[in-house]
Amino acid sequence: MPSNKELSAALDIEGSVPIHSVQLDAMVVLKIVKHCRESIPATVTGQLMGLDVNGVLEVTHSFPMPKNNQDSEDDASNYQVQMMRCLREVNVDDNSVGWYQSTNMGNFMNQSLIEHQFEFQQALSKSVLIIHDVARSSMGNINLRALRLTPAFMQLYKEKKFSTEALTKAKLTFSNIFEELPITIRNTALLTALLYELETADESVEVSTSHLTTYKSTASTPASKSVLAPSFDVLDLSLDPYVAKNLENLMDTIDDHHQEQGNYAYWQRSVERENKKKAAYLLNRKTENARRAQSGQAPLANEDVDAMFKVPVEPSRLDHLLISGQIDNYCKQINEFAGPTLGKLFAVGELQK
Amino acid sequence: MSRFFRAGESDSDETESDYSDELTHSESEDHSDSDSDGSSSDDDDAAKKTGGRGRLFEGSFSDSDSEDDTVRVVRSAKDKRFEEIEQAVSSMINGQKINDWVSAQNEFDRANKGLQKAAGIIAQTGVPKFYVRAVADLEKTIQAALEKEKSSTKKMNASNAKALNSMKQKVKKNNRLYEKEIQEYEKNPESYVDEEVVEEKPKVKKPKKVVVSDSEDNSDAEAADDGFTPVGAGGKAVELNQENIYKKLKEISDARGKKNTNREDQARILERLLAVANSPYQKIRVLLALISAQFDFPIGASGYMTIPLWKHADKYLNLLLTILEASPEYIVKEDVPEEDEETDKDRVPQNGEPVYIQGSLVAFIDRLDDEFTKSLQNIDPHTTDYVDRLKDEVGLYSVIVRSQAYFTRLHLTDSISRTTMRRLEHLYFKPDVVIVAVENATAALLPASIARPNQDSSALIHDLCVFLYKNATSLLRTRAMLCHIYHHALHNRFFVARDMLLMSHLQETIHQADVTTQILHNRAMIQLGLCAFREGMIKEAQTCLQDISGTGRVKELLAQGLSLQRYGAATPEQEKLERQRQLPFHMHINLELLECVYLTSSMLLEIPNMAQAGSNPDGRKKVISKPFRRMLDYNSRQVFTGPPENTRDHIMGAAKALSNGEWQRSVELINAIKIWELMPEALKIKEMLGRKIQEEALRTYLFANASHYSSVSLDQLAKMFDLPLASVISIVSKMVWNEELSASIDQVSNVVVLHHVQPSKVQSLALAFAEKAAGFVEGNEKLLELKTPQQAERPKKGPNANKEQATGKQQQQRTMGPRGSRGGRNQFNNGLGNSVRGGRK
Repeated sequence: MPSNKELSAALDIEGSVPIHSVQLDAMVVLKIVKHCRESIPATVTGQLMGLDVNGVLEVTHSFPMPKNNQDSEDDASNYQVQMMRCLREVNVDDNSVGWYQSTNMGNFMNQSLIEHQFEFQQALSKSVLIIHDVARSSMGNINLRALRLTPAFMQLYKEKKFSTEALTKAKLTFSNIFEELPITIRNTALLTALLYELETADESVEVSTSHLTTYKSTASTPASKSVLAPSFDVLDLSLDPYVAKNLENLMDTIDDHHQEQGNYAYWQRSVERENKKKAAYLLNRKTENARRAQSGQAPLANEDVDAMFKVPVEPSRLDHLLISGQIDNYCKQINEFAGPTLGKLFAVGELQK
Repeated sequence: MSRFFRAGESDSDETESDYSDELTHSESEDHSDSDSDGSSSDDDDAAKKTGGRGRLFEGSFSDSDSEDDTVRVVRSAKDKRFEEIEQAVSSMINGQKINDWVSAQNEFDRANKGLQKAAGIIAQTGVPKFYVRAVADLEKTIQAALEKEKSSTKKMNASNAKALNSMKQKVKKNNRLYEKEIQEYEKNPESYVDEEVVEEKPKVKKPKKVVVSDSEDNSDAEAADDGFTPVGAGGKAVELNQENIYKKLKEISDARGKKNTNREDQARILERLLAVANSPYQKIRVLLALISAQFDFPIGASGYMTIPLWKHADKYLNLLLTILEASPEYIVKEDVPEEDEETDKDRVPQNGEPVYIQGSLVAFIDRLDDEFTKSLQNIDPHTTDYVDRLKDEVGLYSVIVRSQAYFTRLHLTDSISRTTMRRLEHLYFKPDVVIVAVENATAALLPASIARPNQDSSALIHDLCVFLYKNATSLLRTRAMLCHIYHHALHNRFFVARDMLLMSHLQETIHQADVTTQILHNRAMIQLGLCAFREGMIKEAQTCLQDISGTGRVKELLAQGLSLQRYGAATPEQEKLERQRQLPFHMHINLELLECVYLTSSMLLEIPNMAQAGSNPDGRKKVISKPFRRMLDYNSRQVFTGPPENTRDHIMGAAKALSNGEWQRSVELINAIKIWELMPEALKIKEMLGRKIQEEALRTYLFANASHYSSVSLDQLAKMFDLPLASVISIVSKMVWNEELSASIDQVSNVVVLHHVQPSKVQSLALAFAEKAAGFVEGNEKLLELKTPQQAERPKKGPNANKEQATGKQQQQRTMGPRGSRGGRNQFNNGLGNSVRGGRK
């Protein structure tokens, strides 16, 4: 992004402590959730504002990016710059510290996301990517992940070298493309106060704040159901759609993987073929030279054998890496889901006795 | 000079054998032309004289005597060619004289062409002089003509002038070739021609009777043979005798294989030597040479030894065996050090020591048998020639049996097993009756000590095979095993054949075997399949036939003809090889019957399978027989279907009827197929098929319509498909047990209660995923294998095991207990689907 330069110029460079955790303001979380949920199933992105303090990246504000990315990159960056300026004018943090993206069932591992994040991290070394999984959040628990590309990956990506050799050298596998940072959610003191007020509120307490009218209406029904009473979404027993969806995705990814495997095998075969040809050629030369030596002739001139037999270039393993990461993601999701679900099923079983 | 010796000389230009030399020596100078009148009478005398040679020869002589009287005028090749050239030359000269250059040019060309044809002769005798003279003169005449042409006012016509000009060019070029000869001629034109006249006259003018050297027809050869005898009457009786018999033999064996050896002459000399030979040793030696001489004859365009020649070889081989049997102290072996040069003494066994003679009987047997097969391959099987030829098999078979007995006496294990194998290969595919007939005919031909009439063909085959198992090399053991399996299968002993096949572990190694063995394996598999079919084991039959019938290359795999090559895939050499591998027609397995059996058994398995799959897309993928599906699809795509005409139509019709539950119609259609008549006990097979169709119809019906019922009465089912109640119950129980049908039998009210259970989406997805994951793992393993070839052995088991566990977990759990015994059967089926796609390599 062209604006990255300006951003980095604007960035307050102090202290070189690497960030080790992310702290999100509650409002940021709500804004992200709202934005992502509204535009489902499309994937949307937005900017994060804030500051890093002593290794903790405090995100205090965010704004959504416009959806229509087809027009041009310029529009998006113009919008971004303009937005930042407006925010500065109203005295909100306008220091860009990363971006967020919505996702569905955790399928975010793709080239463009990596590229985007790479650019971000190039410009702002302390930027972070927040992934919000709408589908999984709907299962009860909000699902947010803060990710950063690892330095090893950054290095490789910069060099655009994803051969097997380079990967092993950098000890890079699909599991350490990203490093995940812990997220804490912080409320401002005022908000906390409001929440306490809401918690203790009963019908008699009139909440005058106009934007909370919705809460009031729900709270006005049975007394026992407070606004902040625990949600029972978590106990939902409709398991099939989730697992099925996951499995479907998994299968698609495996198909992709299969294709990659094919490509790789094809490459391997062609390498082998070339090597064989080369070996045969060398052997031929060797015998020829031996013969010539016997008959007292000078050996054949040394030719550049490597130039004659071009070993095909190894296909980039990045795709493969990402696909593996994606598969890993899905598997983890199912796993994560299966554990609690089993518990739930047992609980239900007990109940039905 | 006698015509004969003239002829002999010109004929044996190439052979130049000592034989003719000798004859010339012995010939008296005063033989005149008139002598030839007496040739036929001499001939008869000679025949009488040679009467003592043995009865074997009598036949061949007596029938050719009559031919002898008609004197055939045959000129030598040289004379014929030269005469042609001479004619051309003289008419060319005529053309010159009348100034007709067009015809002169034509004649000149003809003369040159003739000269080219006679190149071989010219190389020996030099350029004919009359030709040299003619071309030398021609050049001059042309020059003169050209000059005249220039000076004269009257022009030639255009074509004539053109011919003259081109003649000029040609002659110039041509004469450069014969520069030397022309110079010679120019030096002394008169005497040159005279010389020529003197030299050429007797040769050119006289018509001669010579052997037609390039004829292959045996009768001609015999006629020529007779033509020789009279001369022999004077000379041979002295020349070919006990003393020089070995010398002759040596000469012949030295000349053998040389380029310009006249094989016919050799064979003839050998025949006469045979007549002269009287001690067994001599006879054996001569016969050995004679039999190889028979095999040495060039094979003409037909691609096989001519039948008379073959019969000769057969006859001599029999004779040899008779001698060897009669005088057991002489032994023909391969690994005997060659006798020294002075073998011209008769060797007799001394104090019990046998005399060893070098020679390979087993090679003769092999060759004889191979030639027999070759001739059968090349004769049109639909002619009477083929049948006639096939009748010779008994003779051949008896020779094989006889030599086998001979080898057994000598304890030559290798030779015994080779001949035993040959014997087995003549027998294994034949039905009992034929084997017994052949055996009896053989016993009648041979002395009782060697062959006894045998009534039990299976025991015979068994004995032969067991002998080979014990003694032969691994290749012969394999072949014997396959023949044995084939034989068992032919006699409907399916389980015996199957067990042999499995216990021999042939299927694992057959891929490495040579092509003919693979073909034998394919034949055995097919026969096994047909056997299973006859026994009513449809599933086994289908699996046995699947690999061969399913390919569409049945003909090639069984070596029963070439299927049309697509895209000219085969090179001519490959095609030739394939042609050589073809089996003779009488060994063929009927392909139409094979197809019919395959399709019928496919139908019986595939139709219920298709009904079971129903609309479920995953199940559709499970195809038992691709060709059958393809045909069925094609058939059902047609807008109008007429009444069935061929086997295929019948089966397709039956399949459709079966899938609709109209089993009566299906049975009707299947029974209408005519080719069942070729099966032994066709009625029984039709009956079996009818029953199978009823059962499969019931299954199909249940699969197709289970979703519409909540319960079906068993009585009703029995009535619908005309089956006894017990078998309906057994079929339904089997389906329930195999989890093909989710139902249970209510025995109290005698109904099948059907449960309607559909797998949930997650379940089906999970299954699909399991399959995918297995594929995934397999792919990874493969990649790893490529990368680290030394580890290739290790991971092989992994993916399959995984897959099975993933997909068939439920089933396996249930399989554990009561179905242990059936596991064996299933394995067998898997194992059977393992035939060879060799055919061509």
